[in-house]
Amino acid sequence: MNSPASPNPRPFASRYPQLGTGPVPVSSAVDPAFFELERERIFRGMWVNLILREEELPNAGDYCVRYLEAQDATVLVVRGDDGKLRAFHNVCTHRGNQVVQEGHGNCKGFQCNFHGWTYDTRGRLAFVTDEQRFHNLDKSALGLPPVHLDTWRGFVFVNLAKRPAQTLEMAMSEFNQDLKPFPFERMVLAGRYRYTVNANWKVTMNAFQESYHGAFVHKLSVGQCISPDDPYLAVQRIKLQENGNHTVSVHLAPHELSPAEKLAFGFGATFTQGGSAAAAYPGTAQGEVRDWGFDLNIIFPYSRINVGAGWYYVDAFWPVAHDKTVYELAYYFPMPQRASEMISQEYSKIVLRDLSREDLATNEATHRALRSGAIRQMMLSDQEIAVRHLYHTVAARCGKETGK
Amino acid sequence: MSATTLPVPFAHLDPWLSFALPSEDARMRRRLAASMDELTGLYRALAGELPAIAAHLDQWSLAELPAEHKPLLYLAMSFMEAAMAVEAFHQPGPPHATTPESMVVFPGRAEELLART
Repeated sequence: MNSPASPNPRPFASRYPQLGTGPVPVSSAVDPAFFELERERIFRGMWVNLILREEELPNAGDYCVRYLEAQDATVLVVRGDDGKLRAFHNVCTHRGNQVVQEGHGNCKGFQCNFHGWTYDTRGRLAFVTDEQRFHNLDKSALGLPPVHLDTWRGFVFVNLAKRPAQTLEMAMSEFNQDLKPFPFERMVLAGRYRYTVNANWKVTMNAFQESYHGAFVHKLSVGQCISPDDPYLAVQRIKLQENGNHTVSVHLAPHELSPAEKLAFGFGATFTQGGSAAAAYPGTAQGEVRDWGFDLNIIFPYSRINVGAGWYYVDAFWPVAHDKTVYELAYYFPMPQRASEMISQEYSKIVLRDLSREDLATNEATHRALRSGAIRQMMLSDQEIAVRHLYHTVAARCGKETGK
Repeated sequence: MSATTLPVPFAHLDPWLSFALPSEDARMRRRLAASMDELTGLYRALAGELPAIAAHLDQWSLAELPAEHKPLLYLAMSFMEAAMAVEAFHQPGPPHATTPESMVVFPGRAEELLART
């Protein structure tokens, strides 16, 4: 079975001739030395999307810790007693122990569990145990080392560079027009998922930015959303940005609803129902795509803000090592007012979770096979131009060439 | 939070109480550890009742849902877990998937609200 004849089966490559059409080298996905290059040239200076909403830390003393393996850092984000959100390296200025161990919480200050040095919620060193025995200690210069923090539409980002090369707003590039109007503030956290994946971050992420695999990897989970007239869900709209960001719009065939899907849809918006039932959402491509389902918005290099009709999810493919990734996803819906809405949202959460588990298993199998070195390059269809874009942008930033 | 019975109109669903778990993480693991016989039984027992269950629970706002009715909501959410097994996979989870040991599910706001109130 093949896709129906369309006027042009390869519409995207000609719009982005700088990416070429040739095979792409495998080495950047399996070579430990290349991972170190990515760390130095890309990860260290980037704005890191923490998969965290500003309103998830509403009160003075609310904090959370994120381990950023790609940046060799652990970061503490805390709302100070003055109401301001700040980020710090989670490191004691005494002898470098990690100050906060727990993932998140609320506190009046942070006490290091090594020797009891204590910092306030603005990061200032407030107390030194047995201080009189130190020589010339200037406490005012020994606060937690600060990290640049900025927010975009309520999403918290940090940058570990001494002086970020660009502002967060610049990094968001065309999303400042395309995505910014989405009503993020109407939704709250419905669930958060963290997966450990034995695969390179690009191998992992690349399965999440094309629809071509849907008919195979997801034929049981969402097979009903794939029509025989369009068996490989040929993407109608892809928009690549110069800095590596891009949007891939996914459509889902209208289909007969399964009993559970019908119940879920009866109580609220669902992951599989697409935009047909809802008024067009601002900040989406709903008006431009037939049977629009949702938009994948990739913020180069490895996080996304994906928006649907009545929900969104934010995820990141946290690079840990050349062969290890942590995939984290936070799913947002309007706060359910009644039980029926919560039951409906549960359906979408379960579908997306099962889909993610299918993708991640494939990623591990792919990485295992790539490691053999048996193939040196991969072949990419026009439908996989977002995959090409990622490899191309990473290679360019690392001073390497991809095939043309 | 181990309920011994469901609210009166749904007391006949008591045999499924072991699925009435308060967190998504626990419901997912219960589903993945269940047999297909169990999941199919749960699915069949609840499919026709879900509109009535929802109407019953919707008498209250979620924030004011009385504690004795919460297990019914948890059971309804386990129905959705069973539905993927029965309608899509014909086995408890996806045939090719990462292991449940390699993942963690954290609660959202509504789940936290129910745990608190």
